[in-house]
Amino acid sequence: MSQVSLLEKLIAIARRDVLTAVRYRNGFILGLLGTFAEMLAFFYLARAIGPSFRPEGVSFFAFLVVGIGFYTFLISGVQAFLSTVQEAQQTGTIEVLLTTSTPAPVLIFLSAFSAFAGKAAKLVFDLVIGLIVFRVVLPHPNLAGTAVIFLLSLAVALALGVLAASLQIALQKGSAVLWLLSSVGFLTGTLFPVNVLPLPLQWAAWLIPITHSLSGMRGALLLGQSTSQLAPEILWLSLAALLLLPTSLFILSWVLRRGRRAGTLSFY
Amino acid sequence: MYMGPVGLPISMDAVVFNSVSKVFQHRPALFNWVGRERAGSTEALRGVSLRLPVGGVLVLLGPNGSGKTTALKLISTMLIPDAGNVIVCGSDTLLDGDTVRCKVGFAMAHERTFFPRLTARENLDFFATLENVSKNERSKRVDEKLERVGLTAAADTLVMKFSTGMYQRLGVARALLKNPEVLLLDEPTRSLDPGSALHFWDFVRELPVTRTTVILATHNFQEAATVGDHVAILQRGVLVAGRPSVPGSSLDVMRAFYFQSVGEPEYAEAISAPSPQEMP
Repeated sequence: MSQVSLLEKLIAIARRDVLTAVRYRNGFILGLLGTFAEMLAFFYLARAIGPSFRPEGVSFFAFLVVGIGFYTFLISGVQAFLSTVQEAQQTGTIEVLLTTSTPAPVLIFLSAFSAFAGKAAKLVFDLVIGLIVFRVVLPHPNLAGTAVIFLLSLAVALALGVLAASLQIALQKGSAVLWLLSSVGFLTGTLFPVNVLPLPLQWAAWLIPITHSLSGMRGALLLGQSTSQLAPEILWLSLAALLLLPTSLFILSWVLRRGRRAGTLSFY
Repeated sequence: MYMGPVGLPISMDAVVFNSVSKVFQHRPALFNWVGRERAGSTEALRGVSLRLPVGGVLVLLGPNGSGKTTALKLISTMLIPDAGNVIVCGSDTLLDGDTVRCKVGFAMAHERTFFPRLTARENLDFFATLENVSKNERSKRVDEKLERVGLTAAADTLVMKFSTGMYQRLGVARALLKNPEVLLLDEPTRSLDPGSALHFWDFVRELPVTRTTVILATHNFQEAATVGDHVAILQRGVLVAGRPSVPGSSLDVMRAFYFQSVGEPEYAEAISAPSPQEMP
């Protein structure tokens, strides 16, 4: 039996996800229209608040586009991956997938990656609409810094996705991770700057990875901060990724083994 | 110990069960007094031991709930045994699951384990990639398997439009993608019309020629009589009898063997059936 590279497997999984998405024709088109409507709402919200409100030194609309766009990317990536796992449980496909020649943790990790790649395309679409249609100005973006923050945030989000999948397989309640992420969303600086929160809540916000992702993205993309200025966020996200990725994969392996023993892999 | 057909040397066992037991625990939800879900456990397999030589067709015959599917899932590594061990082509399913998964193909009884908005070809191409079939060979392999199960004409149809029988044949094609050393078939003709079932049995009979070992779970006497080199009877998780069989043997002989084995001789219509060999 020949070996197939991980990249080929990732492409196969992404192709499956893209084909499935575009063949839900109405859902795909409504999704694109929804993105545009969302942007329109932010645009008029920012106009209603007025140009004098410049959180972190940028226009409120640009602040919202990057904040909500990136927050939605992270949350909906976890959600999309979780839905894939739930559907696979409901159809019984998960058992078949987990008996292929591709080791289960690798397969689940690649599936998570594909789910986030799909949402990354939407994030780019959000930003392009913001830039072209609504004339968001990026004076001196630090693209290398943006890429580093993006990749580190992706690594953390992948780990959260794998943790959600583990919870789904173990307890059929992976949505608890989503609930937790959504519940603390207001602390992360998505809609308003973290520094308006009381001090204890600012400390809580500091512990949440998304806070650092948003702060880093805005710093790199909107303010053009240098890599040394982004260092605290890069360091925090690197440590979170180093801790969460192996931990989530260890938990997933344990949960799969437990599911194989209990015969509950396809319970939902 | 369950041996291969009389007169054939056993070079290597394809599948070995050593005193395998599997118990499923039923843990009721919180506030169980609201719905009164059953607590306790189900012994799906109890101390099952068998050996199957390479290249044979073993039929696991038994009623619903007898443990046939559990046995297949243990071989495929979907399940892990609670006691004993399962060895597939020399590898322990618990200690070396990755190796076992490269050698075992499993066509499951429930059909809808595909991606409904992909075509049959796209589904098989996806699974072939996961089964490490190289890019150069993938397309040819997929076409070959689709042809083998008679789905060439439907290759580019979304599988959500498939009939139950087509799903079942696609499941077999998927199980064959990796050219498995051990092929597991769980009630493979359940949804097939009689004509298709006959063709399918011919196809199963050809598999041992390629040294593929087949384990087929069924409760269909006709199927067991037609394709089995060996027949093992499971009842409530216990292997109650097993013996070599001659493919194409009489349906009455198979029926008699089954009912005598499960302790219901009044249903055994064929008096001439041989006595079952009790399992150790």
